[in-house]
Amino acid sequence: MSDYGDSDYDMGGSDAYSSGGDDFSYSGDEAEASSPVAKGAKKSFVVLDKEELRERLGAGVSQVVELLCISDAEATRALRFYKWDLTKLQEEWFADPEAVQVKVGLVDEQPSTRRKEEVCKICFESFSVQDMACARCKHYYCKDCWRGYIHTSIESGPFCLDLRCPDPECKAAVPRRVITAVVDAAHQERYDDFAINSFVDDQRQIVWCPAPDCQNAVMSMHDQLGVAQDIFCRCGNAFCFNCKEEAHRPVDCDTVRKWMIKNSAESENLNWILANTKPCPKCTRPIEKNQGCMHMTCSQCRHEFCWLCEGSWAEHGERTGGFYNCNRYKRAVDKGEVDEQEQRRQHARQSLERYMHYWQRWAENDTSRKRALRQMEAFKSETQELISEYTATPVSQLRFITDAWMQVVHCRRILKWTYATAFYAFADPVNATKEAKARLAQHQEFFEFNQGQAEHYLEKLHGQVEKQLNTFVRPPPSPPEGEAAAAGSEAAGPSGRDQQGWAKFREQLIGLTDVTRIHFEKLVNEFEKGLDEALKEYDVPMAQASTSAAAATAAAAAAEEAAAAKAKAAGKAPADSRRITRASKRRQGPVDQEQAAIEHEAGYWQCSHCTYANEAMDSQECELCSQPRGATR
Amino acid sequence: MDSSQLPRRIIKETQRLLSEPVPGISAAPSEDNLRYFNVIILGPDSSPYQGGVFKLELFLPEDYPMAAPKVRFLTKIYHPNVDKLGRICLDILKDKWSPALQIRTVLLSIQALMSAPNPDDPLDENIARQWKTNEVEAMNTARQWTELYAHQA
Ligand SMILES: [Zn+2]
Ligand SMILES: [Zn+2]
Ligand SMILES: [Zn+2]
Ligand SMILES: [Zn+2]
Ligand SMILES: [Zn+2]
Ligand SMILES: [Zn+2]
Ligand SMILES: [Zn+2]
Repeated sequence: MSDYGDSDYDMGGSDAYSSGGDDFSYSGDEAEASSPVAKGAKKSFVVLDKEELRERLGAGVSQVVELLCISDAEATRALRFYKWDLTKLQEEWFADPEAVQVKVGLVDEQPSTRRKEEVCKICFESFSVQDMACARCKHYYCKDCWRGYIHTSIESGPFCLDLRCPDPECKAAVPRRVITAVVDAAHQERYDDFAINSFVDDQRQIVWCPAPDCQNAVMSMHDQLGVAQDIFCRCGNAFCFNCKEEAHRPVDCDTVRKWMIKNSAESENLNWILANTKPCPKCTRPIEKNQGCMHMTCSQCRHEFCWLCEGSWAEHGERTGGFYNCNRYKRAVDKGEVDEQEQRRQHARQSLERYMHYWQRWAENDTSRKRALRQMEAFKSETQELISEYTATPVSQLRFITDAWMQVVHCRRILKWTYATAFYAFADPVNATKEAKARLAQHQEFFEFNQGQAEHYLEKLHGQVEKQLNTFVRPPPSPPEGEAAAAGSEAAGPSGRDQQGWAKFREQLIGLTDVTRIHFEKLVNEFEKGLDEALKEYDVPMAQASTSAAAATAAAAAAEEAAAAKAKAAGKAPADSRRITRASKRRQGPVDQEQAAIEHEAGYWQCSHCTYANEAMDSQECELCSQPRGATR
Repeated sequence: MDSSQLPRRIIKETQRLLSEPVPGISAAPSEDNLRYFNVIILGPDSSPYQGGVFKLELFLPEDYPMAAPKVRFLTKIYHPNVDKLGRICLDILKDKWSPALQIRTVLLSIQALMSAPNPDDPLDENIARQWKTNEVEAMNTARQWTELYAHQA
C-alpha cells in the first residue's frame, strides 16, 4: 500500500500533468511547424501517442491497484466506471468501499480448491489445477477454453474490457494476467486498443486528433473545457479542442459553426469568386494566381495589383505612405433618390456583397495557407539543399526560412478567421442606439486598422519568402575574370556581391517574421480581451488613431530600411538581427516589469511601432520613427 | 456419423440429457447429425400453453460452446418473445451467452419463458401490444393456438 500523500499521479486532476514540467515537449520539427505562437505560450495541452497513452493508462491502473488493493482487472473496471476519474473513485471508495464494490461489480472471493485436479466447466475435461486459471473466484477453466472465451469476447467489441468469469452467476472480473497468458498477439493488440479508446473517449479532457491518419490524442490542461482551444498536434494538424474544426483562435466555436453553415448555404453564389485567373485590371490579359501572397504582377504589362481588391499595389501602402486597407469593407455609396423597391434591392445586394467581401478574404487566406504549407514542405525536401549549396550556408542555419514559412501558415489561419468573425461582429446593428452604433463603428475601425497592419506585414513576409527566396535557388553567377583573380581564395564560394544580398535577405526575413508575429499576437490578444478593453488601453483618442497610425506605418517602413542600412554600414548585420529576434521573443512575456528587466539586461529597448532597437535607454521616444516608447503596449 | 469427432463436451452433454432428462423436456440428437437435436417441450402447467406439445430444433454451431446454440420453435406458438419463424428472443441465446451454460440450461430457460412471457422485450410487436393492453384476450388466443397447433402429438 502506498502513502496517498505521495501520489504524484492523478488521472482526474486537471493540473496534475502541468506540474510535470516538460510534458509539452514536442519531439519533431513537424510539431513546431504549425505552432510558432505556441512556443512561448502557456503550456496547456499535451500530445500523447499510442505508447504514451498506454503508459498513462497502465500507470493509472497500477496506482488504483496499489491504493485499493484490488486486481488490475478490477481497477480497470472501476476506473472505467468512474470515467477514469481517480479522485472521484478514491473519494467514494474510502467513504464506503462496499458500496463502490457493489456499484462497480467487484467480488471479494479468493480462489479456493483443495484438489489437484479439476474438471473444466466448459470442455468437461479434467486438468491439473496448474494448467487451469480462474478469475479470483472458484470457477476453474482450462487454458484452451479461456482462450476461446476471451477471443470470442474481444471479437465482439469493447465490452471485452468488462469481461467476467464465464460462470453466469459469478461477477468476478477476468484479470489481465489471465488474458495475457492465453490470447494471441493480434487479439492482445485489439484488447489494448479497446482499453486505450475507452481511456480517451470516456474522459472529457482527452480527445483524438481529428486528422484522418493520425493516432495521437491530446489532453487539455485548460481549466475551462467547452471553450475554443487551439491544439497543435505532432502530426502537423491544428485543430480546436472543443469543436474539432481547424484551429480558429481568436474566434469562438459558435461563430465558426455559424460561418461554416452560412458558407455551405451560399456555396452556389461563391464558387465563381475563387477562380484562379482574373483579368489584369490594366491590360485585361488573364493572370493566373499561382502564389500565396496577394501581390500580383502582370506578366505582360508588369502592372502590380492586389488580387483581393484589384487595386494598384502601389496604393497598398508602403510607398505612398497610405496604410493597408484592402481588408476593409466599403459599402457602395447609395445613388441619389430611389424608390422603396429599389432601396430593398440595393439592400439585398449590399448584404450579399458584404458577405462576399468577407468570404472571399476568408477563402483566399485559406487557399494561401494551404499553398504555403505545401511550399514549406517543398522547401524542406528540395530547395533547402540547393540554397545551402549555392549560398554556402549549412542547412542547420537555414532554420530561419522554415520559421518564416511557419509564421506565414499560422498567420494565414488567424487572418482567415478574423474575417469570419468581423462579418458577424460588425454587422449593421438593428434597432441600436446612436451611441451603440458609434461605438461599434469605433470598434470596427480599430479592429480593421490592426487587422490591416497585421495583414500588411504578412503580405510582405509572404512575398519575401515566396519570391525573394527563389533568387537564391540558382548557382551564383561566376564572377568576371578580373574579380575572380581579385577574390583569390574565395573563388570557389559565392561571389562577394551575392554574399551581401544573401546576408541582407536573411536579416530582412528574420526581422519580418518577428514583426509579423508581433502584429498578429497583438491582433489576437486585443480581440480576446474584447475591443472595448483593448481600446481603453490606447492613449491616443480614436479620432486621431488612423492618422497617427498611418504616419506610424509609413515611418515603420522607412525605419526598416534605415535599420537595415545602419546595420549594413556598421557591418554587424547578423548580430543585429539576432538581437531583434531575441528581443521580440522576449516581448511575449506578459508583465511590464519583466519587460523592463529584459530591456535593462539587453541594453536597449525595442520600438513597438517599427521594432528598431533603441540604445538610448532613457529616451521615451523612438530614435527612428519618433513614436512614444511603449505607446501600443 | 462418427461420434469420435465430436468434442467431448457435446458427447457428455448428450449422454447426460439422455440419462438424466429434465422434467417436461426431451432432447435427442438426430441420427445423421449429432449436433442437431430434436427437442420437445411440454407446455408448462398454469400457462396458456398447458397441455400442448411444442417441437423445437436445436443446433450446436461449429464454435459451440464459445457461441450459443441456435434454437427455434417448429410448432406455431402465440408468444410475445417468439416470432412467426419460431425464433426466440432470449438474452442467453445472444449477448448473455456464456460457455459455462449448457443445452440443458437453455431449454430450461425457454420453458421458463413460456411460463412467464416478457412483453417488454418483444420479438413480435403485435402480440406484445396485445399482451400488454389486453392480457386476458392474449392468453385466450395463446390457448386457442395451443389447441390448434400443439396437439397433434
Ligand atoms: Zn467465477
Ligand atoms: Zn476446458
Ligand atoms: Zn494529429
Ligand atoms: Zn472550436
Ligand atoms: Zn497587365
Ligand atoms: Zn487590395
Ligand atoms: Zn520606432
